[in-house]
Amino acid sequence: MNGPHDMGGMHGMGPIPIEADESVFHSQWEAKVFAMSFATFCNYFPVDETRHASERMPPGDYLTSSYYERWLYALELLITEHNLVTPEEIEQRIAKLSQEEY
Amino acid sequence: MPHSHHSESDIALRVRAIESLLAEKGIIDPATLDAIIDAYEHRIGPHNGARIVAKAWVSYDYKQRLLADGTSAIAELGLTGFSSEHMVVVENTPQVHNLVVCTLCSCYPWAILGLPPTWYKSFAYRSRAVIEPRKVLQEFGLDIPDEVEIRVWDSNADLRYLVLPERPSGTEDMSEEALADLVTRNAMIGTAKVYPPRSPSTITA
Amino acid sequence: MAIETSNECMSVAQAEILLQSGVNCRGVTNAPPKFQVGDMVKAKVMHPVTYTRLPRYVRGKVGTIAKVHGVYVFPDTIGQRLDTKPQYVYNVRFAAQDIWGPDASPKDFLHIDLFDDHLDTV
Repeated sequence: MNGPHDMGGMHGMGPIPIEADESVFHSQWEAKVFAMSFATFCNYFPVDETRHASERMPPGDYLTSSYYERWLYALELLITEHNLVTPEEIEQRIAKLSQEEY
Repeated sequence: MPHSHHSESDIALRVRAIESLLAEKGIIDPATLDAIIDAYEHRIGPHNGARIVAKAWVSYDYKQRLLADGTSAIAELGLTGFSSEHMVVVENTPQVHNLVVCTLCSCYPWAILGLPPTWYKSFAYRSRAVIEPRKVLQEFGLDIPDEVEIRVWDSNADLRYLVLPERPSGTEDMSEEALADLVTRNAMIGTAKVYPPRSPSTITA
Repeated sequence: MAIETSNECMSVAQAEILLQSGVNCRGVTNAPPKFQVGDMVKAKVMHPVTYTRLPRYVRGKVGTIAKVHGVYVFPDTIGQRLDTKPQYVYNVRFAAQDIWGPDASPKDFLHIDLFDDHLDTV
């Protein structure tokens, strides 16, 4: 698909963001998104299906998201499309966990 | 579906919700997640690639095997793994400088170099490395002379690329282990050179 | 020929195997490679709305086969859970000026891995 992911040769992306002494993950949620995705590779989704899922992110969102936000989008898209979890279950669980925090 | 522009805490909450649902339904095992995170945080990283490079520097025969069939030569050291199953090693020389990118996503030899740094995954690197590699390399402090050929490897298929940097001069007496300590991640992607000990370098990542 | 998955929860042991062995992407076909090292090829002009590993910037451009990598399964169809469609992969070398025009350095080259289904003869 002719999506924003196909960005070879695009202009205007600015300087290369070089971080010194970068950690592998920048937060706990990044590590969890990575590990959950990895744990679904092959057993649930061919890796190329997960790559394609991140490309299906709406272009405006794709271009304003971080790497692991796109992984999260792909994971959520695939688990809901394959009826492993419903979008309602996710929203309800977010509400429940949110209440428990306060 | 999640949308971007969410705060870090919103995203973290969303991730915890999905994790708890997937665990509850028996789709993921929390112990497996811990093992995966531990592997990439503590076991897998550029030290693996550095071993390959150092061995190629000290053994002419190994270097020939590595350049002819990266997959087999890397397997000799037991360093294959996920996202490094099919490897191609490209050699930097005084005439040729190699640079690796993945414009479509961020394909990278995970088992050899660990998970990629933020800059490798950035839109800036993915978009610019193929159209203005010399300017990109200048941002890393590398000025490639006009007469040197630049080869940009866009790793869009299932093959993964490793750059074999030039061995710095003045390292003739160093052991394989000591040489491996000189080899940086960026040198194996092609955005740095390897410097002899105590030589100044602008990029140390 | 839809690709089915096991849909089983990945155990720690399975994760270790996947980390250490990865996924073998090699395939088998009886067909000989369509191209040999040195052949000129043209990246297809195509704009599928589905998954493809053929970037836009090389579509319609002419390059040279630098290496025949052998037979691999085809991501473009696997990404849609269709056939694995094994076919040859080639490393194709493009002059940067042929892709980006005269502003590019004459000493810059792009090397990209393309499948039989991505390539036309010139």
